[in-house]
Amino acid sequence: MDVALSVRDLRAYYLTSHFGVEREVRAVDDITLSVEKKEIYGIAGESSCGKSTFIRTIAAAIRPPLRVLGGSIRYSFLDRDLYDLDERALTEMRWKHLSCILQGSMNVLNPVRRVRESFKDFASPHMGLARSVFFDAVKAHLNRLRLSPTVLSAFPHELSGGMRQRVAIALATVCRPEFIIADEPTTALDVVVQKDVLALILEMQREIGSSMIFVTHDLTVHANISNRLGIMYAGRLVEEGSTRDILRDPMHPYTRHLIASLPRIGDVTPKKGLSGAPPSLADPPSGCRFHPRCPLAMDICRQAHPELTALAPGRRVACYAVSPLVQPAHEAAAARKATKADKSAAFLQ
Amino acid sequence: MKEWPRASLLGAEIEFASMRTYARYFLRRLGQFVFVVFVGINIVFFVTHATPVDPVEQAISSATQFGHSDPRAVEIMRKALRELYGLDGTILQQYVRFWTRLATGDFGPSLSAFPTPVSVLIRQSLPWTVGLLFTSTLIAWGVGNSLGGLAGYYRKNRLLKAVGIAATGLQPIPSYIMSLVVLILFGYIWPILPISGGFQMNVSPDLSIPFVSSVIMHSILPVLSLVLITIGAWFVGMRSLVSNIVTEDYVVYAELAGVNRRRILTSYIMRNALTPQLTGLALSLGAIFNGAIITEFVFGYPGLGTLLVRGVNSGDYSLVLGIASISIVAVATAVFVIDLLYPLLDPRVKVE
Repeated sequence: MDVALSVRDLRAYYLTSHFGVEREVRAVDDITLSVEKKEIYGIAGESSCGKSTFIRTIAAAIRPPLRVLGGSIRYSFLDRDLYDLDERALTEMRWKHLSCILQGSMNVLNPVRRVRESFKDFASPHMGLARSVFFDAVKAHLNRLRLSPTVLSAFPHELSGGMRQRVAIALATVCRPEFIIADEPTTALDVVVQKDVLALILEMQREIGSSMIFVTHDLTVHANISNRLGIMYAGRLVEEGSTRDILRDPMHPYTRHLIASLPRIGDVTPKKGLSGAPPSLADPPSGCRFHPRCPLAMDICRQAHPELTALAPGRRVACYAVSPLVQPAHEAAAARKATKADKSAAFLQ
Repeated sequence: MKEWPRASLLGAEIEFASMRTYARYFLRRLGQFVFVVFVGINIVFFVTHATPVDPVEQAISSATQFGHSDPRAVEIMRKALRELYGLDGTILQQYVRFWTRLATGDFGPSLSAFPTPVSVLIRQSLPWTVGLLFTSTLIAWGVGNSLGGLAGYYRKNRLLKAVGIAATGLQPIPSYIMSLVVLILFGYIWPILPISGGFQMNVSPDLSIPFVSSVIMHSILPVLSLVLITIGAWFVGMRSLVSNIVTEDYVVYAELAGVNRRRILTSYIMRNALTPQLTGLALSLGAIFNGAIITEFVFGYPGLGTLLVRGVNSGDYSLVLGIASISIVAVATAVFVIDLLYPLLDPRVKVE
């Protein structure tokens, strides 16, 4: 399979300095993942686990104090790293190749302009069509999303929440981008509209053939839409695998707790909450960031962060308790370097 | 084929219905307007009549201050003056007379410049005040909002930061200090501009080039001091409005979509910040009929402010009442007009 997005060792921190006190919040720490073409990659995790920061980073929408400190982000449609693009190339790339559907789509449309103007501002520079042809294309697209073309002459406040969400999806897909980033697009909607909107997103994604990163804390939504799932905890990816595998057989203790918290029909045992609170990302726990809340915590968990290790095809887990193959991250990195050095040495000889 | 999901309030068939609701809205606002004007003028009537300065006694004392006069003659004079000034009878009779006269647009004769009608005095001063304040209000509003908007958007810009410090520094300075500082700077230390009056005495007041240029030269210093006082509030207001709007979802989303920067600044940020500022502008434009009392007085400008001070000092109820009534009507009209325009400026304001 071709890779649409490959993220390597991405680190993005919030760096602030107030009255000489330097503070860093490690919202995204050493994340490595890749999204294949035409795939929907789901990211799950509780609030403040760094999901939104990750999204902002790969969408090149960072603003100080958030800063990217290391790693690379490569999209298949770009010939270089995302952060090596200049302002103009970035503007050109946006929406044409990479678009977003945001959390709170209720408020993503300018309240004092008609929907028509938003389409013109967002899409027309990328489509390069004459005015009438452009609006014909937009209307055809709205048609596919089962939206009446009259929404174009409406103001956002005149549309219901579900319709605004549809308009936002139409806006994000009208240029047929290769990659779509969806950040909690269904969170503020009621369940009935949610189902409708999910179906719509799925339909659009299939039709355009774009790849997608879909972020939500709601695992039931992931079960319906995501092909693969990455579980984030405290700024790190702790487990990754196909949605099916993860929901059936979660390996990381945190994932297990997440899945166990889901209600099941017929299950009447009371749900137990995880003790403790999510760690502060300004001062994360040493070693594995989950260890203060982990029932399986061992000595090594407190000392060194476990490497996200491939344990089966397409399955990666970062937990010492799951398999002896999981090594501390720094040792794994050293080992990688060593094998690389061996290889190049062998090549030189 | 599937039924379209319909948006509310779309299409021409609903236009008509909204026209009717707009008419209802108009009538309700008109009622409010009339009520506000009525209450306001009443308050001014009773407040001015409660002043301890009696214009009749003032006129008598200035007539009798030289030499002896017969007490009976003084009594007759007092009675005659009371009748002439329209001050005979109870306060209730005066009140009824006042309203019947006002209905015909007559504020009665001025008591301090008897028998010139108040309306004539006001008509002479009004163009000066309106010209002065209209210009300075528009300049301060335009410049203050543009710079404030830019400062809210480009928070890091050094020059705009300096402008911000200057604007916030100027804002709390009282108008009499500002007027005096401007006067001393440009009239005394670096005497390049005239410091008093509305135009040069030896120029005849007609529409000739020397007269117009004289009026402009005389207005520069008062306009400058008025602009310097008011620009800070517009700047600070706009800057904080914009820095809030910058974090709104629709701005972030437009930036994510790579929408043209200038378009974002104008159509997304400024356009949304402008509505409250336009209300403020309408209120300030309405308030220009009060005259800029202190600034006009300092610069000896022949406007409403100077006239009002004269009226208050000489106990000239009719004049004070006339000026106050005009400014009440003007402010109420400004609010009325902006209320009518608001549904057009901000589509979210429903007219029901």
